[in-house]
Amino acid sequence: MVNVHAHTLVPEHRVMNEDEIEEFLEEYDIDRTDLPKIVAGDAAIPDEASVGDVIEIKRDSRTTTTAYVYRLVIEG
Amino acid sequence: MVITQSPKEIDSIGFGLMNPEEYREMSATKIITADTYDDDGFPIDMGLMDPRLGVIDPGLECKTCGKHSGQCNGHFGHIELAAPVIHVGFTKLIRRLLRGTCRECSRLMLTEEERDEFREMLKTVRSLDQDVNDVTKAAIRQARKKDFCPFCGEKQYEISHEKPTTYYEIQNVLANDYPQLIAAAMQDEDDPTSPQELAEKTGIELARINEILGGTFRPAREARRSIERALDVDLTVEDMNKLMPSDIRDWFEDIPDEDIEVLGINAQNSRPEWMVLTVLPVPPVTARPSITLDNGQRSEDDLTHKLVDIIRINQRFMENREAGAPQLIIEDLWELLQYHVTTFMDNEISGTPPARHRSGRPLKTLSQRLKGKEGRFRGSLSGKRVNFSARTVISPDPTLSLNEVGVPDRVATEMTQTMHVNERNLDKAQRYVANGPERHPGANYVRRPDGRRLKVTEKNCEELSGKVEPGWEVNRHLIDGDIVLFNRQPSLHRMSIMAHEVVVMPYKTFRLNTVVCPPYNADFDGDEMNMHALQNEEARAEARVLMRVQEQILSPRFGRNIIGSIQDHISGSYLLTHPDPETGDPPRFNETQASDLLRGTSIDELPEPDGVEESEAYWTGRTIFSQLLPDDLSMEFISESGDTVVINDGQLIEGTIDSEATGEFGGEIVDKITKQYGTTRSRVFINEVSSLAIRSIMHFGFSIGIDDETVPPEAKERIAEAIENAYDQVERLIETYEQGDLESLPGRTVDETLEMKIMQALGRARDNAGDIAEDHLDESNPAVIMAESGARGSLLNLTQMAGCVGQQSVRGERINRGYEGRTLSHFKADDLGAGARGFVENSYTSGLTPKEFFFHAMGGREGLVDTAVRTSKSGYLQRRLINALSELETQYDGTVRDSRDNIVQFEFGEDGTSPMMVGSKEDFDVDVEHIADRIIEAEFDSDEEKRRFLGEVPQETNLSEHTERLRAAGVISDD
Ligand SMILES: [Mg+2]
Ligand SMILES: [Zn+2]
Ligand SMILES: [Zn+2]
Repeated sequence: MVNVHAHTLVPEHRVMNEDEIEEFLEEYDIDRTDLPKIVAGDAAIPDEASVGDVIEIKRDSRTTTTAYVYRLVIEG
Repeated sequence: MVITQSPKEIDSIGFGLMNPEEYREMSATKIITADTYDDDGFPIDMGLMDPRLGVIDPGLECKTCGKHSGQCNGHFGHIELAAPVIHVGFTKLIRRLLRGTCRECSRLMLTEEERDEFREMLKTVRSLDQDVNDVTKAAIRQARKKDFCPFCGEKQYEISHEKPTTYYEIQNVLANDYPQLIAAAMQDEDDPTSPQELAEKTGIELARINEILGGTFRPAREARRSIERALDVDLTVEDMNKLMPSDIRDWFEDIPDEDIEVLGINAQNSRPEWMVLTVLPVPPVTARPSITLDNGQRSEDDLTHKLVDIIRINQRFMENREAGAPQLIIEDLWELLQYHVTTFMDNEISGTPPARHRSGRPLKTLSQRLKGKEGRFRGSLSGKRVNFSARTVISPDPTLSLNEVGVPDRVATEMTQTMHVNERNLDKAQRYVANGPERHPGANYVRRPDGRRLKVTEKNCEELSGKVEPGWEVNRHLIDGDIVLFNRQPSLHRMSIMAHEVVVMPYKTFRLNTVVCPPYNADFDGDEMNMHALQNEEARAEARVLMRVQEQILSPRFGRNIIGSIQDHISGSYLLTHPDPETGDPPRFNETQASDLLRGTSIDELPEPDGVEESEAYWTGRTIFSQLLPDDLSMEFISESGDTVVINDGQLIEGTIDSEATGEFGGEIVDKITKQYGTTRSRVFINEVSSLAIRSIMHFGFSIGIDDETVPPEAKERIAEAIENAYDQVERLIETYEQGDLESLPGRTVDETLEMKIMQALGRARDNAGDIAEDHLDESNPAVIMAESGARGSLLNLTQMAGCVGQQSVRGERINRGYEGRTLSHFKADDLGAGARGFVENSYTSGLTPKEFFFHAMGGREGLVDTAVRTSKSGYLQRRLINALSELETQYDGTVRDSRDNIVQFEFGEDGTSPMMVGSKEDFDVDVEHIADRIIEAEFDSDEEKRRFLGEVPQETNLSEHTERLRAAGVISDD
């Protein structure tokens, strides 16, 4: 089997811890459910991620070098 | 019109079903008669035009609210339906509920555990803003699986739905030939049964058994089942049992509130039985006004016609039922009533013939009023006709600034701007009014402080102007310097609507500077454009700051300038700065010529001459061009014509100025000036470059004719030779192919390989012809200049004009359609030669043969069809994309969110930068420090001041081109 996590085109996905999430939700003044979503079955998310977790995705960007995106894991 | 109701703030909008009781409560009157007006033309009471439903005739008073027409919005009435009918808008939900609930006790057939599960799913789906419908569908699917009700144990039947509004239960009923079936089973060869035995087995009396066998008694369900069990037969056939709307209503009435909650329906505002109508609301007359035709006859609205039909059938239904008509007739009338109520709401249901007008035109009923491009949403709310707009043909005027638009005087006298008169503009206001509505800077209306609006006429203007005083409003004509919006459809990007400053001009067309043609995608072959005069100060200020053409020089699409030199401007600056091939120097001009070139610009003094030739001072084209550049601009790039352009401290040292330097779609100099010196400097630069270039192309003279594309005989011979060679190659290829010796390329068939090789050979032939032609066209050839400078046309165009037009294609292949095995009857079947498959060996100058012409037309037709298809496809795609993205908004915290506050991007574009201001080249860096230094240097006279304000230097806003002139004249504000 191919390990998609190791593929160059798959950006780094990381499960955030609760403290980080809280701080970051506060920063944007949002609820967890206002975040963009990612389904639990997505091959790119780490194996330990479960529904309700928040994933931090670190992407390469031409203009800012790295761009961070956050997604809530939902069923599916 | 005076607005009496103050606007109200909408807190929330709720959607639900409406209670029939509510229909009755809000009804101004019950409607019982289908007649509208009596013989004297008065509306009939309790008829469809009952005066309590609102007023349409001016002067009359509303019988319900007492207001006059215009103030009264109208009032609903109602019709009591003789029998319930299905609401077409809810047929799918009705079907779902019939399938998911018990036919006996009406409970949702889900166990408590299942219900909990779906309630939980609903909660998550709602919090995640996903589709509740998915859960409802899943719940119904689950409930449908049960054959027996988990609450009362009743057997459930399949529900079939015949569109649009008929529902059946598929039940098993006793077959008509049940005696024969039973008899056959009793005479089973292996195990015959006597009537006596059957009676014993089933517990039915023997006499009954005999009656059943004789066909004189139909066994009830219990008896039937025991006989079936005893004899192991099936006595039933499937039967469709129609569910009447009244049955469905009774069924739904018994569904408990908590059961539908599981399906995501709020029983408080939506009871399912309300989907079956018993009362029909009658829209107010204001929603279906009747019009009086020229001949005095009244013509009623389509909705009224439909309501007449409904009332007529309703009455007939009641009469028939009271008279005790047979069930069949009642059912027919019921169906008819259903049809009329259905088409009243939607007259475009597939499978149902649309209700038609007497003339045969389908009626426009409720849903048709809302749907589609001309419907209420897209036609009346998202977009509508507006006042203060004008449309006419456009034509070019290179003397205008790119920020300006020439407005015909007859448009300027029609469009107005509101002046709030005060002490300071009183004089002007009076002068406008005194000029009247026809002399140009005049006025059309005035408004007194008491709100009375007076029309300014030729007769009263003198008198009225004396009365104007502070506090009045004057609707004056458009004058030079006013800001207006200018638009050309299709409005595909934001540069399709830009703000321009008005210049009032004679004649009938809008005039615009040619450099704004690219953003509008306009030309002057009859294009028309729209102008909108802005009507309040906020709008005008916003337009000036955000929408003025100079603010749109950079395109957010690719981060470079979209406005710049075009066509002759590029040829002109090329001629001005391109070195002579013989001397290697750019052209020289004497004092008169140089001053003349710079006449359209703000340069009123020539620099030091570049030298003296024959005792006359001269200036080079590059020096003249340099006068337009900012003094401290330095840059280096490769031009379109291939040489290196070097600019040092505002002096063009070397290189040719062409499309790569000042052109639309990313001219280096324009791009850099806009980003480093601001939009105002850039506007000045583009304006001046275009006027210098036009003067320079006029100085040299520039024209093109047939002779410019004609090559000498020896070149023609060489071209013919090149083509002849290619023909030989093709011949050889075909020969090898026919002998079966052609080797196929990897992944291709032999046929495909042959085609590819032929295409390659012929393509090479055309290129060779082009090269030969090019060799014989010298550098001063106008077509060559245009192609090389990037002004217009390409080398391919030149090749086709002077060399050889080349292979024509349809669908990317050589032409192979037409007759069987050949393209035209002039060729032998299966001729694969160049000429037989659409190769045009002539050039446009030498002229095409009839066969070539035909092939050329085939290829050309495909191009036209492609464009037509592409525009319609991309238009629809664009519409969907815009609708999907329209509600996204960048917030002050940098996030992009939709209207429900869901985050779409955490940082605008994931990098928080404007695509307009970011360089599109990898190595492009905006020299921020340099800009800051320059601004600070220019802003402060003393070092003291400079230090005090360092880091916080306000950039001067230049809101009008005329500011300088006005300021010189002592005017402080320009409005
Ligand atoms: Mg046109
Ligand atoms: Zn009223
Ligand atoms: Zn039941």
